[in-house]
Order: sequence, then C-alpha cells, then structure tokens
Amino acid sequence: MADRIVEAYTGEYAAGKSENALNRALELARRGRLVTLVDLDIVEPFYTLRPIQDELAAHGLTVLAWKTGETMGLGEAGTVIKPAARWALRRDGDVILDIGYGVGGSRTLNLVEGAGSDPDLKVLAVINISRPMTASVADIVQHVRDLGRVDGLINNTHLGDETTGEVVQEGARVVTEAARILGLPVVATAAAAEIAEKIGQADCMDNPVRPLTRFMQKAMW
Amino acid sequence: MEKPIQEERKAFLTGNEVVAWAALVAGAEFMYGYPITPQNEIMHYWTRLAPRYKRGFLQTEDELSAGFTTIGGVMGGKKAFTATAGPGNTLMQEPLSMAEMMRLPVVVVVQQRGGPSTATVIYSQQEVTLTTMGGNGEGLRIVYSTSSHQELFDYTIKAFNTAWRYRFPTFVLGDGYQAKMREPLTLYDPEARGVAMVGTEPFVGKEGVPGIERPPAQHRNTFSLEEELYEKVKTDAGDYEKIAPSVAEYSSKYTEDADLVILSHGVVFRAVAEAVGSLREHGFKVGFFRPVTLRPMPVGPAREMAQKAKKILIAESALGQLARLFKEAAFGAQAEIHTLFKPGMGITAEEVEEKARELLQ
Amino acid sequence: MEAVRTEMPAPAMPRSWRVDTKPHKFCPGCGHGLVLKCLGQAIDELNIQGRVVFGCDIGCSLLSWDFFNIDTIQTHHGRTTPVMVGLKRARPELVTIAYMGDGGGYAIGAQHLVNAASRGENITVVLANNTQYAMTGGQMAPTTLPGQKTETTPYGREPETTGYPFMGPEMVAAITREGAYVARGSVANLRQLKSYIKKALENQIAGRGFSFVEALSGCPTNWRTNAAETWDFIEEEMPNYFKVGEIKASAAAKKGEEDG
Repeated sequence: MADRIVEAYTGEYAAGKSENALNRALELARRGRLVTLVDLDIVEPFYTLRPIQDELAAHGLTVLAWKTGETMGLGEAGTVIKPAARWALRRDGDVILDIGYGVGGSRTLNLVEGAGSDPDLKVLAVINISRPMTASVADIVQHVRDLGRVDGLINNTHLGDETTGEVVQEGARVVTEAARILGLPVVATAAAAEIAEKIGQADCMDNPVRPLTRFMQKAMW
Repeated sequence: MEKPIQEERKAFLTGNEVVAWAALVAGAEFMYGYPITPQNEIMHYWTRLAPRYKRGFLQTEDELSAGFTTIGGVMGGKKAFTATAGPGNTLMQEPLSMAEMMRLPVVVVVQQRGGPSTATVIYSQQEVTLTTMGGNGEGLRIVYSTSSHQELFDYTIKAFNTAWRYRFPTFVLGDGYQAKMREPLTLYDPEARGVAMVGTEPFVGKEGVPGIERPPAQHRNTFSLEEELYEKVKTDAGDYEKIAPSVAEYSSKYTEDADLVILSHGVVFRAVAEAVGSLREHGFKVGFFRPVTLRPMPVGPAREMAQKAKKILIAESALGQLARLFKEAAFGAQAEIHTLFKPGMGITAEEVEEKARELLQ
Repeated sequence: MEAVRTEMPAPAMPRSWRVDTKPHKFCPGCGHGLVLKCLGQAIDELNIQGRVVFGCDIGCSLLSWDFFNIDTIQTHHGRTTPVMVGLKRARPELVTIAYMGDGGGYAIGAQHLVNAASRGENITVVLANNTQYAMTGGQMAPTTLPGQKTETTPYGREPETTGYPFMGPEMVAAITREGAYVARGSVANLRQLKSYIKKALENQIAGRGFSFVEALSGCPTNWRTNAAETWDFIEEEMPNYFKVGEIKASAAAKKGEEDG
C-alpha cells in the first residue's frame, strides 16, 4: 500500500472542489487503480456527486454518495452523512474525498474515521482567483490558513465559458506566490481539457497541468 | 464608505454571492435575515464581507422578525435588505404589507423554491403570485425577475434605487437554480459606471428635538374611517400607476413577424431564448417576449405583442402564475394562448423547442 | 376652544407629551395614560426627547401613536419589538422604546420578546398588563387570572384547559444575562413605576442590554368595574399572581434606586 493515494479536496464555496476531486478519481481509475470517491459536502450541497454517481461508477469508480431519491427533505433537514462515508478510509485502494465548503474548512475530515492518523492523506485546497474572496495573494494566504490543515494548493482559476489561457496563467502566478508564502506546494493547475492542451504539460510557473472534463454543470442537486 | 469594487472585473460566482456583492456595492448598510434554503449563501457571504466594509448583519428569530427589523433599519434611514424563499416569503408578507402601507423602501431578494408548503428547495417559479400580490393589499410593489448572474447583480443594485426613489417595497425575484448556479459576470461599482445611487433619509430619529425644533415624525398603518383609507390607497395606487411606465421593463425579439411568440420570465427565459434562436435558425417564425418586471407588468408592450401574434406559448415552472399576470395585461387580444406549465420543474430549451414545433405544424 | 385652553393653567403634563393630541384617546380610567405619564416623566428627567423613538403595537397601545412629541412608529400586532430592534441596530445612538400590551408581548409577539431578550438587544420594552385583550372587546389573554371572565372564557378562566397567567418579567429575567433590567411595576404606585421605567431607559443608554418593565394596568371598560373595583383588582387581585418589584437589576441600577 506504499503508493496508496488519499486526497481530500477542500477550499472556498464554488472553487471547484468536486470537479477536481472527481477528475482526479477518474484519472486514477484510468490508470487501472482501485478508487473510491466520497461526497462529504454538508453545508449546502447543490452541485454534488449525487446526480452523476452512476455515470462516474460506469467509469470504474466506487462512489460513496446518497442518491437524491434516497434522501428526504434536502435543504430542510440537515445533510445526513452516508454512514459508508465515515468509514471510507478503511477501504482498499485510493480514496478521494470531496469535502464541501464552510467555516469548518478541513475540519470536516474529523467526521471520517482515521483521517487524523492516515499516513497517506493529503489535504488539497482548490483556488480560483476569479472568485473575489480569493482573488489576491493576501486573501488566498488568509483563506488557506483559515481552512486548517492544508498540504498543497491547486490552481483552478477559470471563468466558466469565458475562460482563456491567460486567465488560467494569471491564476498560476497568484496561487504560486501564495503557496510560496504558505510554504506549500502547488500540486497542479487544473483547466478544461481544451485549454489545458493549449497550455501544455506545465503552466507558466512550471506547475503540472491537469486537464479537466467538466461534469459538474449537469450535476445539480 | 469604502468601495468594495475599485476596478471593474470579471468574476465567477454563484447567484447568492452575486446578491451579496451587489448589495454591498449598492451601499446597503444592513442585512437582516433568517436562514432558509436556497438563499442561505446570501447571508453566508454578507456575513463574510460585511465586517470588512463596516456593514451590519442581524440573524433574527424568524422571517417576520427579519422583515420587521428591516423595516426598523429602513425607517432609521439606512439602506437595509433581507432575503428569503418559500415559506419564509409567506411569513415575509406581513411586514411587507406594512411596508406597502407606509411606503417604506424595503428591498427583499426572493430565491423561489417549490410549493405549496415546505415542498422542495431548489427549482420553481411558484412565488410569482405571492411576491407580486402578497399581503392584504393591492400589490403596490415592484418585482424584478432576473435570468442571469449579470442581471442579478444589475437589478439588485437597481432595486435599492427603485425602492428609495419611489418608496415602494422592491423585490428581486430569483430562484434556487439561479441562487446556486455558477457563471461569470462583471462586478462593478455603480457610480464608476455613472449609475447614481439614490440617497436615503430617516423616517424617524431625525435631526432636532421633536415638538420644539420640528414637528414629531409619527407614522401609522391603522385607520378608522373607510374614507381615510380609501384616500390613502387611491393616492398610493395613483402614484404607482404614474411611475409604472418608467419602472416596467421587458425584452423581446423577433416578435414583429412571429407566428408564435414564447412568453417566459426569470430562469426559464434562458431556455426560451436558446430555443427561439435554434428555431429561427431552422426557419421558424418564432419570437420571445420576456417581462423583466412582473409588477408592474409592461402592459402596453405586452398587449401590443398579443394583438399582433397569432399564437402565444407561455412557459413557466408554475401552474400559470405568469400566465395570469399576462392575461390581465393583454386582456382582449386575439392571440391563441398555449401553455407549457411545469410547476416546480425545470424547463429545457429542447422541451420548449419541441412544444413550439408542435404548435407550428 | 383653543383660546379657552390657553387661558387655563398649564396642565401637569410631561414636557415630552404632545399637547395638541390631548386629551388622549384612551378610556376614562385606563391605565395606559398613567403608564405613559411615567414614561413621559422618565424621558423628561433623562432629557432624551430628541433621541427617543417610540414604537407602539396593535391593541390599545396603538392609540399612543401620536401621544408624545417624539418620533413614533405604530407597527403590527406583536411586531413592535423587531421594528425597534432593527432600528436600534441601524441607529445605535437612538433610544428605542417598544410599547405594547400583554397580548402583543406574550402571545402573538412572544417569539420576538424571547429572542430580543435572549440576544440582549439594547432596547427598552414597556408592556401594559391588563389581563385581557381590550382592543378586540375583552378576550382572554395569556395574563388573564384564573376564574376571570372574559368574552372567550365566559365561565371564568380554567387553568386546567387554558393554563395559568403568563409570568412575563420572570421569564425575561430567566433568559437574560447580567446587565439586563427587568421589573414589574403598577399604576397603583406611579412613583415606583416611573423609577423602574427610568432605570430601564438608563440601562439602554448605558448600553447594558435588554430592559423590560411590565406595568400592572387597569381596564375598567372591559372589566366593567367602577373606580373602587378597578383599584381593588389592580391592587388586590393582580398581585396575587404578579409580584411587583425589580426582578433583575445590575448593581449600577440598584445603586440608582438607593440614591433615588
């Protein structure tokens, strides 16, 4: 299990946590690895893995998420954690955790058994500098500090359909500078596949580029 | 007051965040609110931003209190607002009827959810009747129905100006889908774009000692004589009628030669615009008409359209709440009216297109 | 008429009263006039007429909407508390007074009273307790005494089915923290009632938190009592359930009492 990959995706609301988590899980699955993807979004889940879990499962992932039809009173009752999610780290293979936003930051991991002592766990903060509250180096540094445990950053800067290569590259510059101040690595720059292709293997700051396939736009509720 | 947006810039936001930013740049000084899905992130982001720009927030015990505390803030001369949805909007109608009676510039953002009762929390256009005509009164309020994040930003800013200029309660009517969806928009400071923000003034707590330096400012909503109330309502209704033509907004396209005009508002308009574009490409004579203000309705243009069109298709995520407003506006017009009503359900461009093709055969 | 009035000796009214709306709109013998006299005197003594905003409820309290030479908002039933809370939050320099009856405070607006008190909102609530809904013609209120006949308890209030009188100040005292001021006065002792109201306002001015004064008040019209019976009910019957006195006062407020 030396190469077991365990990653938790955290960050600001609408920063792209789920998109990055599921793309990472799919990438690992494509390499023939055993992967479990876990939905831990509890503050106000809207774009969640729930509606697309069958599609993801068809790609060979194990997805631990409720199906909307299995739930009752979404948005009215609290978001009930699926019991299997609590024990996700006891599973064989790689585990990718999609932890939602909220003032709790990465403390959401306290809800997962063994997260505190898992030797392989990496907590990755997803940053989009087109979001005004994480637009500047200073704001990102403060934001990441507020999240609690974070082991690396992902530059996920984009403007939806209006994204350009330069938008992503500007994100790379700002996020990399914030990471330097925080003493954290930039694990990757993520970009929609067609833009990632234009940028190449590495961004202008020499961070590796991860191409994303956008699933989440159709993953409502 | 420090300007939250110094330079115009593109941003990628959810609808609820857009509302918080818009209220901030519009100079809103206080938000009063009570949690209800799907508007929670308006409060989440307001509470994250407000301390940075010295704005206030109070989480109240319910929506009655949220509405009445907003009234307190407004009467103190502060730009104040609240946000709600569904059952909260139902409770909010009590304070809003007081605001209507007392001509208070209260701004309310409503992110519609399914109904009746608790129902569902994301998608619906079933709060049109409640928002336009709620309360025990005559619906003397202004309601903007938005369909994109840019509009949510623009019209939330505008709502403060409309409310303080005309002194009618003003609503921005979104829905859970707009609240949660993400898309880019341009954030700007209204004054940098030449949009002057209308000033405020206190209704109570004015300068000077009342009874000595000035008469006391005393406001009531209770009347004894029918004649007195009649005069009051007639005066307010007259004021409303007078401003209605300049407040009413709509957009329309391809209606001149259209065999079929599709009517919609809010988020459903996105699907309709897409469907109409596609149908036109395929040579169908189809147009759209979309009221931006649901109250007041753009009565003149709506009637004119209805007199020219052969057929009208009304598409909404409700069982005819927009249709009722439209039929009243277009009363007497000869167009055949068809409907695509899906209460509490989303409507896609494909569905609209299919229904339109059916009607054009 | 005006000419006649100006020739008469100046009536003994607080300065903050609005003379041109007097005589007031309440019934002869109503307790509201007495409570508002105490309030007016307290406002005069504190010299805050220029920064007080007065809010009145639905119920007979609304008849005070033009009672003072003070900026005033007449609100909805039970909603005076949140209007004053919203105003005070937006304009902390003002002194805000929410005036209501027992129905407004303890029934339809109870959630507002509870939460404003519990949050320590820096406002003053003055509540007139006359043991029934007077404005709507004398129905049972939360404060109606056991056995008391009202239009909705025609055989007398039965505690087994309708509960016991609502202990407002005791409840408010229980849910507020140190710094709150809570008292129950009576129109039978105006000097004391005025001192309670004044201390409540001082509490707000000092920014110490929520202040609440319930005033035992009379409603001869709905009680159908003559003067002697009215005073007997206020002084003998009501105190069987409602104990007059300060229920919660900070050390500072208590000192004021001794000095006063």
